Amino acid sequence: MIKEKKAFTYPVAIDVKDLSFSYGKTEVLSSISLQILQNQVTSFIGPSGCGKSTLLRCFNRMNELIEHAKITQGSVLINELDIYEKSIDPIELRKRIGMVFQNSNPFPKTIYQNVAYGLKIQGLKNKRKIDEIVEDSLQKAALWDEVKDRLNENAYELSGGQQQRLCIARTLAVQPEIILMDEPCSSLDPVATARVEELIFNLKQEYTIVIVTHNMQQAGRISDLTAFFYLGKLIEFDETKKIFINPKMQQTEDYISGKFG
Amino acid sequence: MKEQRSQSNRFSSGNNRMVSLEKIVFGITRILTYTILFCACFIFWDIISKGSRKLFTDDGFINWSFLYQSPQTLHVIEHNGEISKLSSDEYFKFKEELSDSAWDELNTRDEFTKVQKRLKANLVAATEVTSNELQKSLLTSFIQDEQTEATEKFNYWMELLENASSHAPDFQVSSEDIPYLVGRFILSFLDQTKLKYSLLETELSFFQALHYPKIDHLSSQSIQKIKLAYFNLLEEHLHKIWEAYIAEKKNLKENINDFLQSPSSTSFSTLESQIIAYMENPLLLKESSANLWEAITADLQWIGSEHRIEVPSKDYAYSGGGIFPAIAGTILLVGGAMLIALVLGVCCAIFLSEYGKSGKFLSLVRLSILNLAGVPSIIFGLFGMGLFVIFLDWNVSIIAGWFTLAFMVLPIVITASEESLRSIPKGFRESSLALGSTKWTMIRTSVLPYAMPGILTSAILGVARVAGETAPIMFTAAFAMRSELPWEGLEHWTDFFFQGVMALPYHIYVISKIPQNEYTVDMQYGTALVFLILVFLLASLSFIIRSRLRRKFNW
Repeated sequence: MIKEKKAFTYPVAIDVKDLSFSYGKTEVLSSISLQILQNQVTSFIGPSGCGKSTLLRCFNRMNELIEHAKITQGSVLINELDIYEKSIDPIELRKRIGMVFQNSNPFPKTIYQNVAYGLKIQGLKNKRKIDEIVEDSLQKAALWDEVKDRLNENAYELSGGQQQRLCIARTLAVQPEIILMDEPCSSLDPVATARVEELIFNLKQEYTIVIVTHNMQQAGRISDLTAFFYLGKLIEFDETKKIFINPKMQQTEDYISGKFG
Repeated sequence: MKEQRSQSNRFSSGNNRMVSLEKIVFGITRILTYTILFCACFIFWDIISKGSRKLFTDDGFINWSFLYQSPQTLHVIEHNGEISKLSSDEYFKFKEELSDSAWDELNTRDEFTKVQKRLKANLVAATEVTSNELQKSLLTSFIQDEQTEATEKFNYWMELLENASSHAPDFQVSSEDIPYLVGRFILSFLDQTKLKYSLLETELSFFQALHYPKIDHLSSQSIQKIKLAYFNLLEEHLHKIWEAYIAEKKNLKENINDFLQSPSSTSFSTLESQIIAYMENPLLLKESSANLWEAITADLQWIGSEHRIEVPSKDYAYSGGGIFPAIAGTILLVGGAMLIALVLGVCCAIFLSEYGKSGKFLSLVRLSILNLAGVPSIIFGLFGMGLFVIFLDWNVSIIAGWFTLAFMVLPIVITASEESLRSIPKGFRESSLALGSTKWTMIRTSVLPYAMPGILTSAILGVARVAGETAPIMFTAAFAMRSELPWEGLEHWTDFFFQGVMALPYHIYVISKIPQNEYTVDMQYGTALVFLILVFLLASLSFIIRSRLRRKFNW
C-alpha cells in the first residue's frame, strides 16, 4: 500500500466556524468548529439526535427548507466564501455540493432520466452531451456495466444497492465538488454496503466526501477523518485511526466501545 | 346434555350470552348489508328496465333519434284506425300532406272552381286602392266619427258631474262619489280605445298617465281640459292608424296575387291567416267595400272546411323527440367546470402544501375550505346567480354555470389534491432540491407528476358531483327548453360562453314537474339512463387515465 499523506496537510474545503443552529427554541448544534479537507472522506458519528445530520444539511443550506430552523451564530465557509451571505444563491450552491440521502430515492422514471434529471433542470438540451455525462456518471458510480442495456427501464426495477448507486450517479451528473452523504448504507444489505463503500473510496480521488453514519465499523473502514458528536456538541475530531485506537475524550471511548448509543 | 358438555370441555360454547349477542350482531349487520345491496340493485334495475324502453327501439336497436334530436311535443293521433305517436315536426308534416291531397281532390270539383273565382273577384274588389281624394274624405269622416263618439261621451260625463245630486241615485252612490265614478269611466274608455287602436297604445298610455291626477279628482273645469287634450291627441295621431291601414291593404293585395298565381293548400293557409288579421282593423268598416268582406269570409270558411282534415291529437309536452341539447350541455358544463376547478384547486393545493407556512392564516384557509364543502348546493346556485348572473351581468350562461359548479367542487378538488401532494415522499423533493432545482422546478418536475393520479381521483369525484347537481345550474346556466345547440347560430365566438344550455339533471327536473303521463315517465327514465351512462363514461375516462399514470409512476 502506498504510504498515505498525513491527512491534515490537505487544503480546507469546508470551514465551519463556531456554528450554532436551532429549530425554534431548541438548540441542536452549539458552537461547532471543524475543517473538512479536500479529497478526504470525513465521517460524522454519534448517537441519534446528536446533530450530525443537521450539520451536514447546513453545508448545502437544505436546513432552510424547514420552518423555524435558523443559524444563531457562526458561519460556514466553502472555498473561503461564507455560504450564508446574502449574495449566495442556494440553488447554485446545491449544484456544487451534491447530496445523497438515507433512503435510496430515485424518481419513478427511467434510469437514464434519473441521471439526466439534474442536467435537464439546468436547461441542458444537447442530447449528445447529456448522453455523455450520463454514461460518465454511471461509470463513476460503478453502475454502467450493470445497467447499460436497460437505461430505459424504470429505476425501481433495480435492487436497493443499485438504486443507491444510481442516486450517487445522479448527484455526480451535476458535477459537484463536494458530496454529502446522509447514512447512505443504512437500508442496504452487507454486500450492497460493501460495493457502495468501495465506490466511496474511489470517488475520494475526485471529490471531497462527508458522510454521516451510524455504523462505526463503516466509519473506520472508509473515512480518513472522523468527528464524534454528542448532544449537539463536537466532542472530538481527528484522524480516524486516532479516534478509534486512542480517543482523547472519555465520551468518545464509551461510544466507540459500545457503552451507549 | 349441556351440563355434560360443559363438564367435559371447558371451552365448549353455546350457553354463553356473549356468544348469542355475537350471533345477533352478525345477523343484523348481514341483513342490513343485504338490504342495501337489494335496494341498490332494485334502483338500477328499475332505471335500466324503464329507461331502455326509450333508449332502445322495439327491435332492440339503439333509438338514435332519442340521442340526437331536440325535445319536442309528442302528438298521439288516431288516423284511419291506427294510433301513431309523432313528434311536432312529424305531426305538422303529416297534416300538411293530408291537406295537400285534399286540395288536389277539391280541385277536381266544379263547385270549388266557382267559389274560387268568386273569392278572387271579391278580394280584388275589396282591396282596390281608392283614389287620393276619396281617401282624404274617408280619413276626415273617420276622424269626425271618432270625435262625435267622444263628444257624446264627454258631454254625458259633464252632465253627470254638473247634476251629480240628481244622477247619484241612478248609480246607487252618494253625490260626492260621482266625480270618482266618472274618472273610472274615462279610464275604462281610454283602455277600450287602446284595445281598438293597438298602434296608439303608447300615446294613449302616456295620455292616461299625464292626466291621471286630474282624472282622479274631477271637476267640470278639468274635464273640459281633458276633453280638449283628447281631441288634440286624436287629430294628431289618428292619421297614423290610417296610414298603417293603407300599407296593410297594399301588403294584402300582393299576397292575394301570390295566391292567385299558385293556389295551393299552403298558400291558402297563409292568405287566410292574413285576411283574418286584416279584418280585425276597425277602419275596414268605414270603407264602401265593407259588405264584400262578409262574402269573402263565407267563401274562406267553405274552402277551409272542405279541404282541411282535422287530425285530433293528444299533446304531451316534452315527450317527443330526443335529448341531444341536454347531453351536449351537460358535457360542456362538466368539462368546463372541472377544468376551472382543477386549475384553481391544484394551484390552491400547491400553495397549501408546498408554500404555505403553517399558522393562523393557513388554518383559516383550511377551515373555510372545509366549511365550503358543507354548503348545500342550492346556496351555491343562489351565490352564482347573485355574483355571476346579476352582478357580473353574465346572464344565464355557460360561463356562469362553469364558475358556480367549479366553486362547488373546489373543496373536493383541493382536499384530495393536497392529500395527494402530501403523500409524495419527502425524498423526491429533497433530492430534486439537492440537485439544484428551484422550488417551482421541484414541484413541477418531481411532485406534480407523481401527484397526478391522486388529483385525478378528485376529478372523478368531482365529475360525478358536477354532472349530477341541478340546484347550482337552475339559476345560472340551465334552460328548460332550447332546441338550438350551443355551437349553432353564434354571431361571435365569445357568444358561446354567454348562452344558456339545457342540462340532463335539469331536464329530468323539468319533465317531472309537468303533468305526468305514461309518455313523460318514459322520457324521464330514458333521460335518467342516458345520464347514468354519461356520468359513468366521464368517470371511467378519468379512471383510465389515473390507472395509466399509476402504472407509470410506481414507486
